Amino acid sequence: MIIPPEVKKKPLEYLFLALFFIIGVCFYLFAGLSDSNRRFIVITLGAGYFFWSLYHHYHRGDLNLSIIVEYLVFILFGIVLFTGTFF
Amino acid sequence: MKYFWKHWFLPLEKNNHRSALLRTNTLLILIAFYLFNHSLIKFISVIKPGILGYSSEITVQKVIDQTNQKRQQLGLVPLKYNSLLSESAIKKAQDMFANNYWAHTSPLGTTPWDFFKSVGYKYSVAGENLARDFYDTDSLMKAWMNSPTHRDNIINSKYQEIGIGVVNGILGGVKTTLVVQHFGTPLVAVASDTKKTNTNENLNQEVTLPADFNIQETTLDNDQEVISLPQTPQVLSQQKKLINPLLLNKIISVILFGLIITVLFIDGFVTLKNNHHRLTGSNIGHIGFLFMILLLIITSQQGAIF
Repeated sequence: MIIPPEVKKKPLEYLFLALFFIIGVCFYLFAGLSDSNRRFIVITLGAGYFFWSLYHHYHRGDLNLSIIVEYLVFILFGIVLFTGTFF
Repeated sequence: MKYFWKHWFLPLEKNNHRSALLRTNTLLILIAFYLFNHSLIKFISVIKPGILGYSSEITVQKVIDQTNQKRQQLGLVPLKYNSLLSESAIKKAQDMFANNYWAHTSPLGTTPWDFFKSVGYKYSVAGENLARDFYDTDSLMKAWMNSPTHRDNIINSKYQEIGIGVVNGILGGVKTTLVVQHFGTPLVAVASDTKKTNTNENLNQEVTLPADFNIQETTLDNDQEVISLPQTPQVLSQQKKLINPLLLNKIISVILFGLIITVLFIDGFVTLKNNHHRLTGSNIGHIGFLFMILLLIITSQQGAIF
């Protein structure tokens, strides 16, 4: 199994991100939430991922505007397609 | 031509070592494309409701078959189709469209039992399940079976008969399909059973609803089409097949997510293999985030039950 060097360098950061996503997915699927709460969960997951990216790149020393914009666009892509599918 | 594909899918020197599909401007174009497509589907479903519609797969026969299948799996007696119960179920669905509500009791105070009585169905036990916006019977039955209160109705051993109403119409300004499941045991059947066992107990009418009453007050909007007939359930399966807008949106989303996740994998792998260092976000993070959303889209059901 190939483990990318960036994961090897900061395994705890990626582990934290994976746990955050897993908890979010479990909560979404099994908590019996209403539609608006489900949408809120997905937006919260997007916001959490954005803050993780700020922390991750700040500690890596390569935090700059283009990277911030990239994360924002990826998060926007995910949230727009999700909300468009169900709401 | 070969370079064209490489440019979009592989990190090359000419595309600054980042697959063109993963560039922010490309992603923004994909978002715009999705939103345009989404609006177009909604527009078509409103302007030409005959082209796109809901419940392309739902038929009375399928709902009855699957309900009985669930009962038989638990060793229960299958329910018999009753045309009066189907009539009451259709009337209930029509009433929800006419008075624009989504609840067991209408804003005017009409209860499900009023519909049973209006068609002349005298019951000793009765129940009602409601659903809307489902496009196939499997998803509908899965949602009902996952809800303990709806499941209790489906596998209630006291019921002997069933009737289904599947009606298309406009509810709250949105074109939708309502599925009403009415369960019952005729009073006569219970009376004769009681006679057989020579008991003198009084017959009490029992009613079962899957959830607490919740009345939604909305404005009147009436444009409905009954796609189920109460007399012969076999006829109902011959309804016109329609493309479901929800399914269409889901397919487009899954394709776009699949495409971007695949390109992220390829991009990450090639970069790792060539040992390139570049100033971009984490491909693994992006894959994790998009995969999580894709998982939610695939596992989430559309539609609502009550």
